[in-house]
Amino acid sequence: FALLLDFKATFFLGRYNDDFDDGEDLAEFDDNDFAEFEDVNEDPTVEVESEPPPKPAPSSIPVEDDEDEATVEIEDGQDEFEDADAQVSDMYSKYDKDEFEGYEKTNSPFKDTLIYQDVPAHLQNSWESYYMEILMVTGLLAYIMNYIIGKNKNSRLAQAWFNSHRELLESNFALVGDDGTSKEATSTGKLNQENEHIYNLWCSGRVCCEGMLIQLKFLKRQDLLNVLARMMRPTCDQVQIKVTLNDEDMDTFVFAVGSRKAMSRLQKEMQDLSEFCGDKPKSGAKYSLPDSLSILSEMAEVSDGVMDSKMVHYITNHADKIESIHFSDQFSGPKVMQEEGQPLKLPETKKTLLFTFNVPGMGNTSPKDMDSLVPLMNMVIYSIDKVKKLRLNREGKLKADRNRARVEENFLKQTHAQRQEAAQTRREEKKRAEKERIMNEEDPERQRRLEEAAQRREQKKLEKKQMKMKQIKVKAM
Amino acid sequence: MSANSMTDPRRPNKIFRYKPPSTDSNPTLEDPTPDYMNLLGMIFSMCGLMLKLKWCAWIAVYCSFISFANSRSSEDTKQMMSSFMLSISAVVMSYLQNPQPMSPPW
Repeated sequence: FALLLDFKATFFLGRYNDDFDDGEDLAEFDDNDFAEFEDVNEDPTVEVESEPPPKPAPSSIPVEDDEDEATVEIEDGQDEFEDADAQVSDMYSKYDKDEFEGYEKTNSPFKDTLIYQDVPAHLQNSWESYYMEILMVTGLLAYIMNYIIGKNKNSRLAQAWFNSHRELLESNFALVGDDGTSKEATSTGKLNQENEHIYNLWCSGRVCCEGMLIQLKFLKRQDLLNVLARMMRPTCDQVQIKVTLNDEDMDTFVFAVGSRKAMSRLQKEMQDLSEFCGDKPKSGAKYSLPDSLSILSEMAEVSDGVMDSKMVHYITNHADKIESIHFSDQFSGPKVMQEEGQPLKLPETKKTLLFTFNVPGMGNTSPKDMDSLVPLMNMVIYSIDKVKKLRLNREGKLKADRNRARVEENFLKQTHAQRQEAAQTRREEKKRAEKERIMNEEDPERQRRLEEAAQRREQKKLEKKQMKMKQIKVKAM
Repeated sequence: MSANSMTDPRRPNKIFRYKPPSTDSNPTLEDPTPDYMNLLGMIFSMCGLMLKLKWCAWIAVYCSFISFANSRSSEDTKQMMSSFMLSISAVVMSYLQNPQPMSPPW
């Protein structure tokens, strides 16, 4: 029976072979009863060999072997052979037994090399084959984790900033925090969340200014792609403050100070800086500013006026946090790129003070770092009051007015051709509209009258033009 | 330290309401990432559905996640949800049609 147990381990052989092995062993004991199986024995072994390996899973075969073994032990010998006979006749009825006469077969056909067929991946019940999918899902989970962590960090930073600045703001502004939707102008006392990385705060109700919009522009910590990109190129969180002023709060000047890179960038980008501060950014050595900063100014008097000792003190102490400071009475935002022509009107300007500060930490900020920005807010408040008091002297005012007139003239010249065209098209449109009206007029009499009126008007215009030409000619002479 | 330490600088009568800056005037200042990612996500999910490419569908899922993370609060949630659903349906359909695991490109 030990041999029988060994046979269980084979994959390819059907149970029929094992039965006949049983028969073989038993035949040794009793020739008469089992002699008939000796011949038949060879055929099934051959036929089983020539069959292709069975499709069903290998695990099913040992189970069947067990069952067969059990029946062999329990049942009577004769019953077993009857079963075997029936099985043989059932399975191998299609095979001609005579065909394989004399075919020598080795006792252990299952010692030949086994050809393992590859089971297709989707039929394998193993998770390992799905490793790409598992990778993908893991990546997604990592992204979601980073989103939650980044969002919370940004939120904590914003809250920390607000907590450290709240007192200062509330003592200076009547309205701290407004989202513009509520009916009454009451302080909401909290930041507006525009995004997962941008927070707004609107403050209003103070002397010397209309209002102040503070934007906390944090890094996109909630986006994993951005986090990875920042590992290559570190950037920092920024606080942008925009103070809008009433007309009487500020005299006419344009001025900017900040890091060299920022100044050269702003000079190219900003409409007012490019028009009024034509010279390259100058160093602030005259006011003993650090070398990293440079100044753009409309005229020297403005620089002298703005850079008083207190301002210089503020800027020198926090030079690393200052990206740019921009005071302008002609602020209209960055230059608008026009496709073909230029805008027909001068862009609207507003008296504005702009401050851009870098949060220390270069991306690895903690809520504690927000306290270091409070002195900068003090500087902002000080600037608001200062700008109100800063007035140009007579010369400076003349220069400033001339500058503005010059800019306007240039603009008008550049757009002259366009405005002419626009005026022409408008005139043509009017004529066409009139003609249409005349045509649509049903009454023939009225038609005639309108036509005559139009003709008379044209005549008058021609006469006027001729008069003008004559006048010019006379003047020229 | 405020400049007028003695007098209160606050003027409740000079309060101006907050006006959200109009985006029409400054289209360049807006971050185009969520819109691009949305578009990419839709393109990839359509590719994945039509051409039965599993990796397209997975990239579409990633794109819609990135678009969601970068989106502004004023943006339509319906748009976000629809791109999510489209990308997830692309993944599911690819696997229903062909349950084989994805093969790496190498």
